[in-house]
Amino acid sequence: MQTNGHISERQLMVLTFLYTIGTTVLIVPSGLAATARQDAWLGALAGIFFGGAILGLYVALWRVFPGLTLVGICEAALGRWLGGGVALLFVFGSFVGAATVLYYVGNFFNIHFIPHTPISFINALFAVVVVMGVRMGLESISRTAELMLPWFLILFVVLLATLTPEVKPHNLQPVLESGIGPVLWAGFSFAGTAYLPVVFLFSVLPRVRNPKKARKWFVSGAIIGGVCVFLVTLLCILILGPDITSRSMFPSYSLVKKINIGNFLQRIEAFMAGLWFVTTYIKTTFYFYGWVAGFSEILRLRRYQAVTLPFGLLLVVFSVIVYPDVAYMQNWDSTVFLPYILTIGFFIPLLLLGIGLLRRAGSKGSP
Amino acid sequence: MSRGRRAVAAACASLLALLLAGCWDRRELNELGISMAMGIDRAGDQYEVTVQVVQPGEVTQKDGQSGRAPVTVYKASGATLFEALRRMTNDSPRKIYSSHLRFAIFGEEAARQGIGDALDLLSRDNELRTDFYLLVAKGTTAENVLDILTPMEKIPANKVYRSIDMSERNGGFTAAVSLDEFISVYVSDGKEPTVGGVEVAGSDEAGRFRENVKTIRPAARILNAGLAVFREDKLVGWLNEAESRGYNIVVGNVKKAVDHVACPQGGNVALEWVDSTSKLRGSVRNGAPRLKVDVRVEENIGEVQCALDLNRSSDIRELERRAEQRVEELARQAVEAMQKTYGSDVFGFGEAIHRSDPRAWRSLKKDWEEAFKSARVDVKATVKIRRSGTIVDSMRKKKGE
Repeated sequence: MQTNGHISERQLMVLTFLYTIGTTVLIVPSGLAATARQDAWLGALAGIFFGGAILGLYVALWRVFPGLTLVGICEAALGRWLGGGVALLFVFGSFVGAATVLYYVGNFFNIHFIPHTPISFINALFAVVVVMGVRMGLESISRTAELMLPWFLILFVVLLATLTPEVKPHNLQPVLESGIGPVLWAGFSFAGTAYLPVVFLFSVLPRVRNPKKARKWFVSGAIIGGVCVFLVTLLCILILGPDITSRSMFPSYSLVKKINIGNFLQRIEAFMAGLWFVTTYIKTTFYFYGWVAGFSEILRLRRYQAVTLPFGLLLVVFSVIVYPDVAYMQNWDSTVFLPYILTIGFFIPLLLLGIGLLRRAGSKGSP
Repeated sequence: MSRGRRAVAAACASLLALLLAGCWDRRELNELGISMAMGIDRAGDQYEVTVQVVQPGEVTQKDGQSGRAPVTVYKASGATLFEALRRMTNDSPRKIYSSHLRFAIFGEEAARQGIGDALDLLSRDNELRTDFYLLVAKGTTAENVLDILTPMEKIPANKVYRSIDMSERNGGFTAAVSLDEFISVYVSDGKEPTVGGVEVAGSDEAGRFRENVKTIRPAARILNAGLAVFREDKLVGWLNEAESRGYNIVVGNVKKAVDHVACPQGGNVALEWVDSTSKLRGSVRNGAPRLKVDVRVEENIGEVQCALDLNRSSDIRELERRAEQRVEELARQAVEAMQKTYGSDVFGFGEAIHRSDPRAWRSLKKDWEEAFKSARVDVKATVKIRRSGTIVDSMRKKKGE
């Protein structure tokens, strides 16, 4: 077993909260509005409900295999070799996740702030901080998350308060114009982006001091995170309307550009972008952590720190080439990502849970 | 910490300083030409773009005495706007920087040919924000409007921007429409866009010289010119002052305005609007749209030119009734102008139907223009008169009795 400290249940909640919001808040309103038009906010709401079910699955899995990471669960359920193979899927998933999120960081900077800076430099700079954090260990990054939380909350409250005057309620009408179908579909994609990646947090769960209490905190962190994304989606529809929301690359950024209190408090979008940096940092970090920790667990390395540097290099390189262009990115995000994350975030965990429950029933039944 | 580690840490920290020194996208202020207004005209299949750029030394209080104009105008043409803007580097020593753009103005001809394609760059480029106004130059080119120096505001772009703003907020004569407002209306089905218009009065040649602002009454001025009506992205016509006011009444965009009604005994009373809201309702009965406008206005008495007894509430009621008729008339005029002359639903009645009856809207959507032209529109106004200024009765009342 690797020893890199333990985290409290409150830290778990904070990092789940920020992890759920990370990148989701930047990209999800656009897709929701494209699918469900002015009902995008209902889609987000539906997504939170689906998310509740997904979190229920994770909590059950956590209960059945206490003290194990995803890799541990796979090996416990499926044996060393088959389990190791399935665990590799997860490890690869978090690798892809980390790279795509890092791509988003570079893409966002490139589009809105520094269009002529090579994306590899932006990503490398961001990745340096991520790798540094992960090398320092779980305790350090969890405490970082806790330290970032107040900043996040302050910015978020500022966002809500300053945008409320711009709200146009009639943008929501007519409600449920094309029926419940698109809303549910939007809900799926919301849950896919916000909640299914939570599966990678299983690399953290065994390190929580008091698992019994922590379950509640874990679920509520993720749900509150989803509510924040829901609020931003609602504001996007209320202020930008479904058309502009679905056409924007990063609608929530277009949203904060609208902040204007008395021609005085305005043009603070670069400041508000702190919201995305904080949450994206946490997301990238825990994807990366899931990757290096999972990988070294499969290989039975004593310290995962040994692989952080080479994997950091891999991460930067892959983040630059993961999406060859924005059209590819949008196509991947809208068609490939959902079934992919459904497989590793829902079906495999469900399978593992089933096996775990059968085993438990079997061991109780046998003398 | 050992000496060696300390040295390594210090070396790392100084490496960070390299990163602080700048990035690929550093832009020094003295390398930027800050453009305040962009004019877009068409010449054949080419775009002709003019930008009004601030001359940094001239707008400051201290150094602005050299006699140079406070702004300069660059012009270039190209098959696309982006190219045309970049082509300005042939002329301008600084790269045009558009984050501080106050408005983009289209020449009347360009606007009649359609502005949809031009809007793409304006919303795609990361330098441009979405909160600048869109305007149309009535009866002239955008270039001519940007060529005029103005009094009061050193930067003409600011003068135009504030004039539109003031007139919208205090007169209800025009509407300040920002880029994103225009786009969201343009892409929606049940509403057509309008934007404010400006025109050039006097000799526009004279406007180019600093002499234009050295005299007490400039030879060339830029005036607001009511609203420009669009269908899709093409300019189809203009609303006069009363119709523009009527439009603003229907969409609930009059914040303050002054209007008058006739007294029962002859003479006029000026009424100042202090607040107004409107509700658009649309319903479909037997396939025919029925459109309703409900306007509520609060007014104060601003000027009395007749022997009205302002202590009697019956007289106030009578004024209110007349004011209501007046509001309804203004609104109806604007609606009729739209239905008969332009066939353009700038009010968003279609959206109102879409909101209230999405199913009926689906079948109505295709021929909305025709349906709108023949739709029945009921306008109902409710006016409340609250206060009468610092005096009660008019001086005339005493004299007259």
